[in-house]
Amino acid sequence: MLVMAGQISKKPLSVLSAGIDDLKRARLIASKEIRHILRDPISLIIAVLMPIMMTLIYGYAINLDMKNIELGIIDLDNTFQSREFGESFYVSGYFVRPKQPVTLADADKLLQGGKVDAVLTIRPGFAEALAGAEKYELGLLIDGSDGNLAIAASNYAEMILAQYILKQITAVAQRAVDMSVQVAYNQDLKSSHHFVPGLVAVILMMISALLTSVTIAREKETGTLEQLLTSPATPQEIIVGKILPYIALAFIDGLLVLLFALIVFAIPFNGSGLLLLLFGFIYVAAALSIGVLISTLVSTMQLAMMASLLVTLLPSVILSGYIFDVRNMPYALQLVSRLVPARYFIVIIRGIMLKGSDITVLWVEAAALMAICLVLLGLAVKRFRLKLR
Amino acid sequence: MLRIVSAIIKKEAIQVLRDPMMLRIIILMPLIQLFVMGYAVNFEVKDIRLAVYDLERSADSRLLQSSFVGNGLFAVRRPEPGIMDIHRGFRENIHDAAVVIQNGFARDIAAGKAGRIGFVVDGANAFSASVAIGYASRVVYHFNRQRTGLDIPLSIREKRLYNPESKTVNFMVPGIAAVLLTMIAMMLTSMAIVRERERGTLEQLMVTPLPVSALIMGKVATFALVGFVELSLCLLIGFTWFRIPFVGSWGLLYFLSFIYLFTPLGIGMLISTLARTQQQAMFFAWFFSVFAMLTGGFFTPISNMPQVVQYLTLLNPLRYYLTIVRGISMKGATIGMLLPETLALAAFGTAMLTISYLKFSKRAD
Repeated sequence: MLVMAGQISKKPLSVLSAGIDDLKRARLIASKEIRHILRDPISLIIAVLMPIMMTLIYGYAINLDMKNIELGIIDLDNTFQSREFGESFYVSGYFVRPKQPVTLADADKLLQGGKVDAVLTIRPGFAEALAGAEKYELGLLIDGSDGNLAIAASNYAEMILAQYILKQITAVAQRAVDMSVQVAYNQDLKSSHHFVPGLVAVILMMISALLTSVTIAREKETGTLEQLLTSPATPQEIIVGKILPYIALAFIDGLLVLLFALIVFAIPFNGSGLLLLLFGFIYVAAALSIGVLISTLVSTMQLAMMASLLVTLLPSVILSGYIFDVRNMPYALQLVSRLVPARYFIVIIRGIMLKGSDITVLWVEAAALMAICLVLLGLAVKRFRLKLR
Repeated sequence: MLRIVSAIIKKEAIQVLRDPMMLRIIILMPLIQLFVMGYAVNFEVKDIRLAVYDLERSADSRLLQSSFVGNGLFAVRRPEPGIMDIHRGFRENIHDAAVVIQNGFARDIAAGKAGRIGFVVDGANAFSASVAIGYASRVVYHFNRQRTGLDIPLSIREKRLYNPESKTVNFMVPGIAAVLLTMIAMMLTSMAIVRERERGTLEQLMVTPLPVSALIMGKVATFALVGFVELSLCLLIGFTWFRIPFVGSWGLLYFLSFIYLFTPLGIGMLISTLARTQQQAMFFAWFFSVFAMLTGGFFTPISNMPQVVQYLTLLNPLRYYLTIVRGISMKGATIGMLLPETLALAAFGTAMLTISYLKFSKRAD
């Protein structure tokens, strides 16, 4: 009886002890990896400084608040009304005076050389047109080369004209409709509120993938991979052990970037920080897995870095909805964007920070991230095991 | 001297062509960038999803509703009756904006007062939100004009020059060409020199009777050629596949590109004196490219940036080159119009080349 009991209890015990071994080996590999990180201070500095620099550069440079459009006004009417009308363009805050005044003769040349963005011509008869019913056209020449700027300039000009006319009309008659506008989440319509949370996603993805992509490639280049493979550690243990320290590093990076977003760019935080951390963890794990997968595929550190930049930077910036709306893309690219982890995390971080979204809304994105992460990790382990044989 | 330089060019060209990975990167990089950016980069705001909450359902409110529906600016979604949680719709990403016509709208109009409506917009995306507000005020403005019967027949006749359909791709392709020329010239230069040093072949070259200047010239000329190939490849795809226009002078474009090239080549050489490994060299080059791209007006206009950053962009050579490439290809700008940019590039090129030559020959001693 006693012997039987001993036999029975032996099996679960051995499974348990294997589990402890598992953890221990992964932990050992992790501590070896930490030593690698600490021994290379330049890379560590880069890993911490780069996200901060990138936050500042991207945060300030990517900005769609189309202000300061340089508009030259050629006022041929030169009446009180025409001057008042022209002034309303500059008062609006969307347009600024160009550095040099624009005349009818040099308007084309200035547009062509990129010295002004648009030219408004007020022909004679503007003041009379306001009183009478005769048709009158203002001329607006726009440098269309930057389509985005041209669209904004055109919209603003129409809006300013509409407001001006409405003011004239309501001076004599009661308007029929009064519209009050309420902007949810971002009262001042600052585009930094849109872009900076997305930036956190882009930077986290890039740094994480870059960090882990070199780990296994480094072992290959220095010839220590064989040593690692002959050790009793299993592929899972090696992969997990290699990822663990970088999760911590990437998390520090993420918190730094987030801190910058909150302090420097004054982005509001309306949701649950805990939820963001939880989803951030899944996202970082997915990003690190991409790096590990790349690392198993290439042979040198240089190729690993190039590949991880190629795989993370362009998709995370262009195909994720960070700057450009995915809905406006051709269908094929929309399909590709579904494979980009940043796409899901951008929805999550924008939702939590700006709109205070909770898990009932964001679980779809979280599930997608989780699936991507598991598939990538599985592929990495499988590739690594292939190498073993 | 010329013979020596051409011999070095030959050596470098063989080295570039022999490495299949490098060749692939040189050809694939413009292709991938062009196709991803050419198709995905689009600032257009279309189909703003608008939820219409008509709580009154009178003749007047329907009329207003139909002017929101019928103008093609909004994609109207009718919410289920009774559900008024507009913000939940924003959070679940069902609609982007909502218009609410309150009960009493028609009564107010009949009484000679202004009927009140509310327009709520998801401001998380500031750009599309401001466009939505613009569209809504236009609808209200037209409605007012109709109802009051008063009319001031003032309108704007607009002409968009150079890119009448406001296609983003017309703007992006010349920009990508400029960025690629910069990146390739800089990366190849910096990495080639560092590689020779890493492998110890730089010393071998140094002990040959070749003068340092010939050595540098030969290397730089090769990568300048590769840069030109890259530029041409990019523009060629732009014209044949994306059908972007080119109205300016090819000769001028290549001449000014030649002047510009000294700057990225000089920066590449400077990097090679700073970096100890190819990895570091690539990292520096890549970091500079991103910086130059973002603050050079590649994606978004410089005038949108804070004043301090705008001053900083004056030190960015790519800024001037982007103005030149876009100006020549899209607007047919002439050298007279681009004189300030040309002079800036000439100054940058001279300075970069002098500094890097001095630093390089110092290290070589």
